[in-house]
Order: sequence, then structure tokens, then C-alpha cells
Amino acid sequence: MEAHLLLEARLAMLGSATDFTFKWCVNMGLSRDDAARMALATDEILTDILLHGYKKESGYIEIWFQYTFSEIEIAIQEKGEPFDPEKYIYDPNRALNEHNFVGAALLSVQKMTDQFLFLNRGKDGKEFRLVKQFRSTHIKDLLPKHLNPEDLNEPEPNCEYLITPATSEDAEDIAKLIYRSYSYTYTKEDLYFPKRIETAIKHEYKFGTIVRTESGGPAGYFAVIKSTDSLIGEVGEAVVSPNHRSRGLMTKMMNELIKMSKQRGLMGLFGMASTFHIISQKVNEKYGFKSTALIISKSPRKLYKGMATEASQVVSVVMDFLPLTKLWRKPVVLPEAYEEILSELYAQFSGQNRTITSGKATAVEHDQTELSLTINYETHNVLITVKQYGKTFQTSYMRLFRSIEELNINAIYIDLPLNSPRINAAIEWLRGQGFIFSGLMPLFHQESDHMRMQKILTHINFDLIKTYTELAAKLKKLIQEEYNAV
Amino acid sequence: MQYSKNKNRIEVQLPGDFNLNAVRLISEELGDRKYLRIDLSKANFVNSKAIIFLHKLMFGEKKVTVRLKDPPKLFFELLQTLGLHTEWNLDEIVEP
Repeated sequence: MEAHLLLEARLAMLGSATDFTFKWCVNMGLSRDDAARMALATDEILTDILLHGYKKESGYIEIWFQYTFSEIEIAIQEKGEPFDPEKYIYDPNRALNEHNFVGAALLSVQKMTDQFLFLNRGKDGKEFRLVKQFRSTHIKDLLPKHLNPEDLNEPEPNCEYLITPATSEDAEDIAKLIYRSYSYTYTKEDLYFPKRIETAIKHEYKFGTIVRTESGGPAGYFAVIKSTDSLIGEVGEAVVSPNHRSRGLMTKMMNELIKMSKQRGLMGLFGMASTFHIISQKVNEKYGFKSTALIISKSPRKLYKGMATEASQVVSVVMDFLPLTKLWRKPVVLPEAYEEILSELYAQFSGQNRTITSGKATAVEHDQTELSLTINYETHNVLITVKQYGKTFQTSYMRLFRSIEELNINAIYIDLPLNSPRINAAIEWLRGQGFIFSGLMPLFHQESDHMRMQKILTHINFDLIKTYTELAAKLKKLIQEEYNAV
Repeated sequence: MQYSKNKNRIEVQLPGDFNLNAVRLISEELGDRKYLRIDLSKANFVNSKAIIFLHKLMFGEKKVTVRLKDPPKLFFELLQTLGLHTEWNLDEIVEP
């Protein structure tokens, strides 16, 4: 589970903060050694903030603990006096000969983490990001050497299947299923690591269903990955073993997943269907999902088993959405520039025995803008979420952008809440910065609708983007026009 | 932090990690004593400020004798990272 600490900037809080860091990291699946490394790195940063950022002044430090299936990220934010730790380089000879240890703390942080980022956001403060990846055994190292995934392509005789909720004890079987069905080509790397699957199911970051044969062998798996920011989930992991296909297992699992999602109070499900082919988009459409956005350059180049002989370009996805609640409301504020297309996207859902009525616009005019930043280190893209529009929107965005411009990024996405008339000015300004439309992200953050814009920093061949539904094609046309204009 | 001391030496048992807080407390209690023993069996880490503190005690003007009991694995890792392991006589400093 995610965690957030708000600390008074005092020396006395150091031990409590690092004790918590250690325990949280262990609970989330890091080894005790790696948890201690993260606690040490956190301690070094906090100590430097106290000594050089706040000195003897009072203030606060915030720590955000974030978990993904492959890594743990700790983000430390503060607004003390400006200092740039990267200017201080440690020199062991200088330390030994002159007892000058400048830069020792930063070197310690770099050594203890897999990735360290320092983001200087000017008046919006400084941010330190510490990342540690999970070290766990790949499924291929747990399987007999002679096993060839291709051997499983021969259909097995018909049999009775048992569908049950997946538990953490199913982790190894799930990884085996993925490996046997897709060899090394499945897009979600985490599913090759049983320990990562086990941790995610144990902490309820995902839930799903597994299909077994009469003899207990795994034949299919389908899961929902819960959003940590809203009461929605992604139908993101699906596999049916090649020798059990065309027997309706996917349908049975999807129906079960929708039932399980409603039981857990989820307000909607979404799928990020690859545009390299239309198979996943077709499946989503079959179950009532509606296309709401086209997200370009979502992940790096991939090879798909049995679908291509060459690597595809960066993978783009169609966002398909299925509401599970009748309480979902269309926001009152639709930006003028995209009112038509957004209205059309919303209209898809009005025929589903659901009233899409208007919510309320935010009347409060804020001075400060609140932005949150999510960096996806694996896919080389970042997501900026606008938590609150304020008068400082442009300067806050620019400060944030400058702090990340040295990262190797394929795309920047920005999610704008559909709750304030200020969205019009924000869109106009973002377009000037090279952002183009992406689409509607229903209930995506804090159970509210957002409009996504995207800035693509790599070359895109739109001929390779395949869409299935009429609205997805319309989104592609609009986005391509805007991309070409930029 | 528990400690026992006499005129010449001080022995400290840390309740947790060896961080800046612990450095300041030990520094206050140490005074002019020339022998410091620290029990680190409850520590997950020794941070860079603590290592620098010990280095200055041993190799600075004070020439304090330092003994460490049960230092955590990360202590050795960080000492090596900082390139100080060549100067420290770990066979003497770390109690068997």
C-alpha cells in the first residue's frame, strides 16, 4: 500500500522516518538488505535537508512511498533553502588526505539505490526520488531446462474447467502460464517473476481469476490491476494457454472479473489495448467497453510472438472504458476546444441504462497550482496530474518540466480535471508547448474525469496504429492532424 | 541510547541506526575520553556522517580508539564506497 509521511523538519524525527521506511520496504517485498539500503538512502537525504535546506529554520518534509510491481519509489519533497546535491562530488583522496568529505552523502545515496533523481522545482520546492527494483527469480530459472513453450501448441482433449479467484499461492502457475503461452514476448515483464505476482496479489494491488483443468493444471488467468489513485481497475493481464484456446475460457473469466470488480466497489474498468493489432480492442468492445482515448507512445518497442517478424515501433494504446456504477456523472465543464469530441465520447455511455448528468464545477479560485508527477522508468514516459488549477499553472508546469527535461523521455502526458473553467486557458497554453489531444480518462484520479493531453518526443508512424472502433478511428484522425500540425 | 563510562572510556549501546542524531549524542558524551566502544547490533545501517565522525575521531587530532560490535553489513559496503576501508584496520576495530 502507498504511504505518505508529513514530517516536521527536526533532527529528532530522523529515526522514526527511517524505521518506517525500512519496515514499509520489507512489507512491500524488498529483501531486508535492500530495505536497509533504502532506509539509509532516505536517512542521507533527510539529514542533508536538515543540515543544508532548513538549517535552523522550521519547515516540513513530505515523503511519498510508492509501489509498482517491479520497483519501489520513495519521493522526498521539501521547500527549504535551495541547494543542489549534485554539485558536490566526493573524492576519496581528498577525504583521506584533507579530511574533506564533501559529497559523501550523495555518493552513499547513489550506491544504495538503483536510480536517484534530484528534481529542482524552484519555488515549488525540491524533490528527491529514490528507486529500488525488486530482485526476484525469473520463471525460466524455475522451470526444467528442456521445456519448450512451443510444445504446448497442440490442443488438449476437452475437459471440465474450474474457475477460482487467484491467490498468492497461484503466483508460480501464473508465471508458468505466461512463459509457456508467450515465451518472452508478453508486454508485462512482471508476470515472469512469481515473487512479484505473489506480493501484488497478497497486498491486493491486483485480483483475478485462474482457470484449472480437472487435474489441477493451470489453463488461464485474467486479472484486474487496481488503480492506486481512484476506485477503478485495469483489465491488464490475460492469458489462456495455447492448448486450451477457443473454449470460451476468456469470456468466463471476464464475466467473473466484472462480478469481482463490482463486489469490490470499483466504479469502472479500463483496458489499455495495443494498437499494434486490433485483437485486444475487439475483445474489449465485445464486453461493452467504449474507446475514450488514444495514448501515443505508451511503452517502448516490443516484439509480439506470432504477430511480427520485426520489432514494432513504440507501442500506442487505445483506452477502453466500462463503467460499473450508475453514479458516474458527466462534468459540467467541457473545454471549448474539445467539447465536440468529448461530448461524443460521453454519448457512447448514455445508452447503457445510465444517466450521465452534470456534476458541479469548482467555484473556488486557487492561487497555487498543484501538480503531481509519476515517472515510469521502464517505459520512458511521465504523467503529470493536475490536482488543482491555480494562477501559477504555467510557471508551475515550466518548473516541473525543467526538472525532468534531462530524463530520456518518449512522451509526457498531462491529465487535466474537468472541473474548472480554467481548463480552457490551460489547454491553449499547453498546445503552444507542443501538447496534442489524447482523450477522456473517465474517473481516472480521485474518482473524477480528466482530459488527457500528450506531448510526443519520438517519431510516430500513424500507419502502424490500428484501431477497431469508430470512435477510436476518429480519435486517431484528430490526434494525427494535431501531431502533424506540431 | 544506553551507555556506561568512566574517566577514560565510554561504551554505547545504540537502540537503532547510527545516524546524525546518534553522532551528536555520542559526541556530547565522549568528551575527552580516548576509548569508544559502540554496540551496533540493533542498527540496520551506519550513515556517512557516522562513518566520517568515527574516521575523524581515529585519524584526527583526538586519536580515539574505536571498537565496533556487530556492525551491519551496510557499514562495510559504505566504508568501501567512501574509499576509507584502506585506512581502517577493521581486524582491530570490529570485535570478533
